Amino acid sequence: MRLSTAETRLRRRKWLDRAFYRLMLASAVIVALILLLILLTILRKSLPALKLSMITRTPGAGYYLGHEGGILNALVGSLEITLGATLLAFILTLPAIIFLNTYLKKKSTLSETIRLALDILWGIPSIVFGAFGFLLMLTFHLRASLLAGMITLALVELPILSRALDETIRLVPAELKEATYSMGANRWQTATRVVLRQVFPGLVTAVLIALGRGLGDAASVLFTAGYTDRLTTSLLQPVATLPLAIFFQLNSPFPEVQQRAYASAAILTLLILAISLAARFLSRKLGRHRIK
Amino acid sequence: MVDRGRVSLKNVNVFYGKNQVLKNISLNIPERSITVIIGPSGCGKTTLLKCFNRLLDEVEAARVEGEILVDGKNIHDPEVDVTQIRKKMGLLSQKPQVLPMSIYDNVAFGPRLHGQRNRKSLDGVVERYLRLAGLWEEVKDRLFEPASRLSIGQQQRLCLARGLAVEPEILLCDEPTSALDPKSSRNVEAQLLRLKENYTIVLVTHILRQAKRLADYVAFLYLGELIEFGPASEVLVSPQDPRTRAYITGEIS
Repeated sequence: MRLSTAETRLRRRKWLDRAFYRLMLASAVIVALILLLILLTILRKSLPALKLSMITRTPGAGYYLGHEGGILNALVGSLEITLGATLLAFILTLPAIIFLNTYLKKKSTLSETIRLALDILWGIPSIVFGAFGFLLMLTFHLRASLLAGMITLALVELPILSRALDETIRLVPAELKEATYSMGANRWQTATRVVLRQVFPGLVTAVLIALGRGLGDAASVLFTAGYTDRLTTSLLQPVATLPLAIFFQLNSPFPEVQQRAYASAAILTLLILAISLAARFLSRKLGRHRIK
Repeated sequence: MVDRGRVSLKNVNVFYGKNQVLKNISLNIPERSITVIIGPSGCGKTTLLKCFNRLLDEVEAARVEGEILVDGKNIHDPEVDVTQIRKKMGLLSQKPQVLPMSIYDNVAFGPRLHGQRNRKSLDGVVERYLRLAGLWEEVKDRLFEPASRLSIGQQQRLCLARGLAVEPEILLCDEPTSALDPKSSRNVEAQLLRLKENYTIVLVTHILRQAKRLADYVAFLYLGELIEFGPASEVLVSPQDPRTRAYITGEIS
């Protein structure tokens, strides 16, 4: 018995529907599996080296030949350089983005130019920032140090932070600003007393996103931050960072040291994961007063 | 005669880009009464309202021509500080816009904006205007909770209290009850009726019954033109222009 054309079409639509569903499900599963694979591989290769001493001790003598020690220098160094860089980037970008969204009209030439500049900055690879930072160092006769690394890393975080801040501040409804203007508030008061309050959770998230990105960046600190086996206490001393620690340890021919490289990678990943979770948690908790 | 709360427009034209939204509006808003602006949707009622406190300055392509006088002064005069003009007016929007802070801070926002810091005075101000808006009893025990937790009817009354706390002379209301349930609407209307003794109120609505209940004066706006203006008893009961009559009887809407 031949099926009518309507029935054939219906059957084919159903089949296509199911096929697409399965394809999409497969792709989602593959992506998740890739992530899982990466995490498991790192964990597996690092297992022998995952000891508490990794994060509580700095490299001892002959560390890179397989002897005792840990990567406390890199852990602390990464935190120092990233927190400093994020702070610098924040101080620079927040006023700029508030200006962009509150004082400028939406379609003015200036605002379009600024946004274009930020978009282009976003696309610049971090090694280019590293090279630029290196050039600055030479010009100002600075040595590879915490300060030089912070400034370069801040440049890398700048476009990330500004885009995240921009997206968040743009979302403030015009009616909210209108209601504030209607009470006789000027732009500065509107920006600081209402807009910033409204976007505060988004601000925290933006900072944490930039922080996470900065922790893992190797190319910008490669030439500018130097490296050291000790804990850095001054802005003008070289500082160790986790990505570079991974790099140096991986380069070693000794398997114990290579394992430590993976362990360092695991620690870095865990750190960034913790920051992401903190970002989500804080965003929800701080969003109490917000207008939905 | 006290020159307070007087608003008048002379030959006002408003353009959004190339589009002319308001055509040659001349109007004197009477003090201490409720003037209701009625008309079909999209005829410029909200735009007219936004002219009064120069909110159109914030809108990109808007251009305002003509004279708008508040208490005898042209609000577009370059020497005039726009925030002072806006302070004279309270705005109640269609959709309640509470500020992202506590109930107390919402009402205290206006006074704080203009320099009031004394905690005791602020406490007094907050209570006074929450009472005036008919919200005090419901929130007095939770003044420091986020305002966003209130129901929409309560939020609108909070916006009313907040607008009043700036101590304006004029209240601009843009369809203030359209987002509210009947009980809250009645509440807000009751407050407005009480307030007209001391404030000049301009209210935009598309609910004719509301106009009948509240209006002392009625202005009928159609396609950007002011067709008719007069006491409510005249315009609503025996309108002179056929278009007004058509709108009131429901032929055009």
